[in-house]
Amino acid sequence: MVKSSFLSRLSRADWFGPLLAVLITVAIIRTFSPNFLSAFNIQTLLLAIAVNVLIAFSQMIIIAIGQMNLSVGAIGGLSAIAFAGMIEVWGVPAPYAAIAALLAGVACGVLNGVLISVTGISAFVITLATLSIYKGINLGITHAQPFYGVPESVKALGTAALIGPVPMLILPTLIAAAALWFLLARLPAGRFILAVGGNEHAASLSGISVRKVVILAHAISGLLAACAGILLVARLQIGQPSIGDDWLILSFAAPVIGGAVLAGGHVSVAATSLGVVIVALITQALVLFSIDPFLVQVVLGSLILAAVGINRLRQVRLASGRA
Amino acid sequence: MPRSRVFASNEFGLILLIAVFTVVFGLTTKGFLSPFNLFTLGRSAAVNIMIGLSMMAVIVTGGLNLAVGAIGVCAAMLCGYAIEGLQLHWSVSLICAVALGAGLGFINGFAVVRTGLHSFIITLATMSIFFGTMIFLTRAEAYRNLPAGFGSFGKMKILSYVSPLLIVTLAVALALAWLYRRSVLGREMLAAGARPEAAELSGIRVGQVTVLCHMLSGALAAIAALMLVARNGAAIPSMAGQLGQDWLLPAFLGPVLGGALLNGGKAPVLGTCLGAALVTLLTGGLLLLQLGEFWVQTFLGLLLLIAVFMDKARRSYLAYRNLL
Repeated sequence: MVKSSFLSRLSRADWFGPLLAVLITVAIIRTFSPNFLSAFNIQTLLLAIAVNVLIAFSQMIIIAIGQMNLSVGAIGGLSAIAFAGMIEVWGVPAPYAAIAALLAGVACGVLNGVLISVTGISAFVITLATLSIYKGINLGITHAQPFYGVPESVKALGTAALIGPVPMLILPTLIAAAALWFLLARLPAGRFILAVGGNEHAASLSGISVRKVVILAHAISGLLAACAGILLVARLQIGQPSIGDDWLILSFAAPVIGGAVLAGGHVSVAATSLGVVIVALITQALVLFSIDPFLVQVVLGSLILAAVGINRLRQVRLASGRA
Repeated sequence: MPRSRVFASNEFGLILLIAVFTVVFGLTTKGFLSPFNLFTLGRSAAVNIMIGLSMMAVIVTGGLNLAVGAIGVCAAMLCGYAIEGLQLHWSVSLICAVALGAGLGFINGFAVVRTGLHSFIITLATMSIFFGTMIFLTRAEAYRNLPAGFGSFGKMKILSYVSPLLIVTLAVALALAWLYRRSVLGREMLAAGARPEAAELSGIRVGQVTVLCHMLSGALAAIAALMLVARNGAAIPSMAGQLGQDWLLPAFLGPVLGGALLNGGKAPVLGTCLGAALVTLLTGGLLLLQLGEFWVQTFLGLLLLIAVFMDKARRSYLAYRNLL
C-alpha cells in the first residue's frame, strides 16, 4: 500500500520518465555495443552534455515565464566571438575576457527583456529581430572568419579532466544547474518567475513586478547562453562565428522532453538536464551503430513530437484523475 | 474608404517608404536604377514576396509555420529528383513539387489540430524532420542537370526590366487577394483565425479550415522554392540554409511590415507584397552602398523591430481615436 503510493508519487515527478528513458537507452546501447561505456566515449558524451545543458537551461528559464527566446544561439555566438576576439585582438587576459563576454550575454538578454516587457510585443517577434541583429553584429565583426588566437590556457581547460573521464568543462554546468535549481525552488525571485509563467495577470495582481521578472529571466537566459558559447570556444579551440547556429531545435527539445509546459510556469532543472542526456545518448548511438548522421535531425524532431504528445496525454490523465 | 483611412493604412506607409528609398538609393548609388539592377531586384522581390505570403497564409489562423524553408527545399529537391531521377516531364515535376509542399503542410496542420498544441512547437519539430529526411534521401547532393528551360526562364527578361518570376508572384498574390476577399473559404479562414469559438458556433469547421491554411502555406513555400530553382538553375539542398532557417526572417518581415496580426484574423496580401518588396529594395540598396554585406542582417533585424514598434504605436493611436 505504502509502496504503491510511493511509486505513484515517483512516477508523477518530472524527472522520473526521462530518467527511466535514459536508463533504458543506456541498457539497450550497452547490449549492442560493449564499447559504449569506455572512458573515451563517456568523456565525449559528457563534453557534449556540458555545453548542451547550458543551452537548454538558457531556453528553459524563458519557457518558465511562458515566452520563447529565438536568439539563444545568436547570443551564444556573439559572446563566443567576443571572448575569442578580445583575447586575440586586444590582448585581454582570458579570465577578464570571459567576464566581459558573460556581461555581453547578460546585456543582450536584458535588451530582449526590456524590449518585450516595455512594448508588450510578443517575445517571438522581438527575439527573431534581435536574433538577426546579434548574428549580424557577429558577422560584421568577424566577416565570418574564425579567431584562431585562443591561448593555451583556455585550450588546456577544454581538454582537461576533473576526475578520470569526467571533463573539466562539466564544472560550470554543474554550478549553473545547482544555482538554477536553488533559484527556482528556494528563492523568491525564482518563485516569481514561475508565478509569472503560470498566470501573468494573477502574478501582477499579487504584487509581483512582471516587468522586472521578465527582464531578470532574459538576463539569466543571456548569461547561460554566453556561458555555453565560451565553453564551446574552449572545446573547439577556436572562436567560430557559426557557434550557436544550430542551437534552436536542441534548446527547445531538451526542456520539452523534460516535461516543461510551453505555456509557462512549470519547468524542471533535473528533467531538462536528463532531456539533454537523452538527446546526447541517441545522437551517440546513431554514430556508434553507424546509422546515417543526417538522420540526427529527424530523430530530434521526432523526439520533440513524441515528448509533447506524452506530456499532453499525461495532462489529460491528471486532469481526469482529479475530476 | 475615407481619405484619412487610406493615409493611415499600412500599405500607404509602405508605398511612401519604397518611394523615398528608391529616390535615396537612386541619388546616392551608381547604377541603382539601371535596367539590370531593377531586373535583379524584381526577381529577388518575387521570391521574398512568395515566402512572405506562405507565412501569411498560416499567420491568418493565429499560428506560425517555422517549417516554410524546410518544406520549400523538400519540394525543390523532389522537383529535381523527378526530372533527373525519374525522367518525368518538367510540368509533371512542378505539380509533384507543389503537391508535396501541400502534403507536408497537411502534416503540419493535421498535427496542430489533432494535438491542440501551438503550431510553434509542432512546426519546429517538423522542420527538423522534413529537412533531415530530405538531406538523408538526397545525401546533400544538388540536382544540377535540369532542362535548360528552367535556367532561361529564371534569366528571361520581359521588356528588359521585368522577370517572369515577378509575374508568377503577382498572379499568385491576385489569386490570394480574391480568396480572402471574395471566396467563402477565404472568409472562413479569416473568421477561424479571428475568433475560433465564434467561428465554430456559426458553423465553420475550424479544424478543417486550419489544415487547409497550412496546406496553402506549404504549397506557396514550394512555389517560392521552385522560383529559386529557376533562378539558380539547380536544386540545391542548402539554398535556404541549415533547416531552412534562412527563410524565417524574410518570411516574417513581409507579413509583419504589411500589418498582419500575429494572433490571426487578418490577411493583408497587398501589405505583405509591399513589405517584402521594401525589404528587397533595402537589402539591394545597402549592398550597392557597400556598407559591408555582413551588416545587412543587423539592419534587417532593426527594420523588423522598427516595424513592430510603428505598428504598435499605430494601433494604440487608433484605439485612442476610437475611444474619443
